Amino acid sequence: MGHNIWKIGGFALIAYVFVMVFTVPMGPGLLELSNTGNATTQVDSDRPLPEYFLTGFGTHWSSQPDQLQVIVRSKTNLSKLEVIEVIDDTHARIGVSLPYSLPSKSWDVLINHPIDGTLLLENGLFLSDRFIDESLTLPAISIVEFEAKLPFHFPYQPRILETIRNLMLHVPMWFTMFVLMGIAFVASIKQLATARNLAEDEKSEAAVKVGLLFGFLGLITGSFWARFTWGAWWVDDPQLNGALVTVLVYSGYMVLRNSLDNAPLRARLSAVYNLFAFIILIILLMVLPRFTESLHPGKGGNPGFNSYDLDSALRAAFYPAVIGWIFIGIWMYRINLRFTRLQKLLTWTHCSQF
Amino acid sequence: MDSLLSILIQAHPLEGWFFGSGKAMVVLAIALILLIGFGLWMWRAESRLKSMEAKLKSKNQQES
Repeated sequence: MGHNIWKIGGFALIAYVFVMVFTVPMGPGLLELSNTGNATTQVDSDRPLPEYFLTGFGTHWSSQPDQLQVIVRSKTNLSKLEVIEVIDDTHARIGVSLPYSLPSKSWDVLINHPIDGTLLLENGLFLSDRFIDESLTLPAISIVEFEAKLPFHFPYQPRILETIRNLMLHVPMWFTMFVLMGIAFVASIKQLATARNLAEDEKSEAAVKVGLLFGFLGLITGSFWARFTWGAWWVDDPQLNGALVTVLVYSGYMVLRNSLDNAPLRARLSAVYNLFAFIILIILLMVLPRFTESLHPGKGGNPGFNSYDLDSALRAAFYPAVIGWIFIGIWMYRINLRFTRLQKLLTWTHCSQF
Repeated sequence: MDSLLSILIQAHPLEGWFFGSGKAMVVLAIALILLIGFGLWMWRAESRLKSMEAKLKSKNQQES
């Protein structure tokens, strides 16, 4: 039983990840601040107050609506906007009570609320009809800052929204594929060193087969994610194209194997091919995308796994997902290897009887 | 297909119809059943392989 703990552990981790993925709520965020085109007459001024519509995501503005503060920020300038009406938890009418002369056209929008804490919408307000003088400074304002009182939640990220949950499926598929292709790479080196023994060739074949499965799953989950966040099933991106080419290169490895009948020759040729395939995998997935512009997180100079992309809530599900899928992948590889060896042994036993 | 999906998403945002209505729990239950089923299938496959390997080994030993 002791030596099987990692197998049970792998499935237990993935079960835990599934529970997290489907039960942990999303944190609140700001979607947009849009101009309604209407204007409200101010009580203490003759100038009409342009009215904007603020839309939140998973916010709780209906509770304590009088405590909702909307602030705009440009560099060190801060100004409070007027909350005309809180319509429901996620919608409010806002009056943009800014002077005609401003230091900037573009403003970040921040809200502060006793439940949601501080939320930010970068460049959420753009005022094209104002006089801009960058030397201007707005008078200081007083803000009562509330800390968020929220249960355990996944972070809100613009555009990604609920699809952040796919992180626990998509990224571990590639990690598992890397591990399995790494096993195949080591086996291929050993195979070339011990040309007569085909055991390492069997290992390499089994690892690539299972690794390819995870590669295809990575492509499918990535394509779904791209559709929801970028609006297309596939975009011309170095990371995506690199992943597809890598999977095709490894598919070529399987084609090469199946095209050769001579077992020692097949083992030697496919081992050499596999060495190059692994180097191509590293170059296409880990090196080249970092030198080019890419939509994909972690590429184009945008580090993937830092505090911007992963917070402690996501890490609590993401790391177990990576470990769990790798354990399952390795178990699948071992079963595949044993099955292949048994099949060969049975064929050999059957042949030796005649 | 694309436009149908866009209409569906606009009409029923994910947080409303999937998480808000409890459908996510149904999907979770199905996902867990599939996962446990897959795990048991792998366990059984490994046990069978083990017994077949043992049988073949003993058969080969008898023959030799």
